[in-house]
Amino acid sequence: MNEELDSQLSAMFDDELLPAECELLARRLSRDEYLKARWGRYAIIGAVIRAERGVRLNAPLAGRVNAVLLAEPALAAQTAPRDRNHPRLRWWQPLAGAAVAASVATVSILWLRTQAPLAGAPLVTQVTTPGHTTSATAAASAQSDSYTVPRSKPAAVVVPSTELANYVVAHSMFSNPVARRNLLSAFMTSESPPGGTQEPQSDVKAIAQ
Amino acid sequence: MSADASDLSLVRRVQRGDKGAFDALVLKYQHKLVKLVMRYVRNPAEAEDIAQEAFIKAYRALPQFRGDSAFYTWLYRIAINTAKNAVVSRDRSPVEYDLDRNNNDESYDMQGRMKDSETPEGLVLTDEIRSTVNAAIDALPEDLRTAIVLRELEGLSYEEIAAAMDCPVGTVRSRIFRAREAIDRRLREVFEGGLGRAEELG
Repeated sequence: MNEELDSQLSAMFDDELLPAECELLARRLSRDEYLKARWGRYAIIGAVIRAERGVRLNAPLAGRVNAVLLAEPALAAQTAPRDRNHPRLRWWQPLAGAAVAASVATVSILWLRTQAPLAGAPLVTQVTTPGHTTSATAAASAQSDSYTVPRSKPAAVVVPSTELANYVVAHSMFSNPVARRNLLSAFMTSESPPGGTQEPQSDVKAIAQ
Repeated sequence: MSADASDLSLVRRVQRGDKGAFDALVLKYQHKLVKLVMRYVRNPAEAEDIAQEAFIKAYRALPQFRGDSAFYTWLYRIAINTAKNAVVSRDRSPVEYDLDRNNNDESYDMQGRMKDSETPEGLVLTDEIRSTVNAAIDALPEDLRTAIVLRELEGLSYEEIAAAMDCPVGTVRSRIFRAREAIDRRLREVFEGGLGRAEELG
């Protein structure tokens, strides 16, 4: 047998061989019974020098372990892909994670936009009394009989009708000043655009703030 | 030189499905592991059983071994835990009283050595191996003997041995290799020739 190879084996046994050489020799050692037997005797020599009393030097421990492991599945299926790719995968794994997270976020946003109106968009729902149907609600009714409640329901301000406002003004001396002011300001802000005509038929408007 | 590179290269091969590489690890550490386990159990045969169990556990756990610590440190930890568990489970089992143990500890030790798988021939062979190796070491030139003893007994690195012996690292490597070769030559004859070869060689 090659003396240089045996010399390398001795150095490898002592962990004094370069890693690249170790890789090559480990491959050969795992297959070459001659080298393996020599390797085993190196271990025996060390055990004798260390005077490991009570230890059987010819114990067939390796053979017993080997016999048990014959029935075991090889570890390759569990570890090989991770081990082979581990160093190369490491740098792009965080980027891949971020890309997946961004994709999920984008899909979620697009899905939400199809499910609910945009935040900030005016939500105007007209609730009508029977017999007084606006054109908007008529169109909606024509499309669908069902009514979907918006996800974020805005606080609605009930605006009184003109008759009610007049009533409140007439009886203002008997009402709470704060409640009166709120009611009047709500009434003022609900006025129709300049020149426009407020539909008298509409009893109540709900305005999203 | 990276520490544990040799073990790591074998471990990586095992992780890729090469069982033959695990054989090399068992061959390298079996005596050390049995010696370690014998701190917990006195019987050599029982210590071998525990060491065997530890090796099998280590094999099954190798996919989780990342190489953060040295392989032998990891292996020793498994062996210690296995030995402790074995002692606990043995203590829970019914006690077998050995009258001889109280009267004569040496006698018990001998019985322990003879238990189970050990045979008189096996004991003789162990003694023969030991005497052969010791005789071969005594026959080595001084520089070779010093180098191998510093390595195996003191656990010094090649660099430390080079400093101690005042010679280059390459010379240390060569001396240790030649020492091993000389001892191995005689040891091989014992294994190949069977019992009684040591006496002939001596």
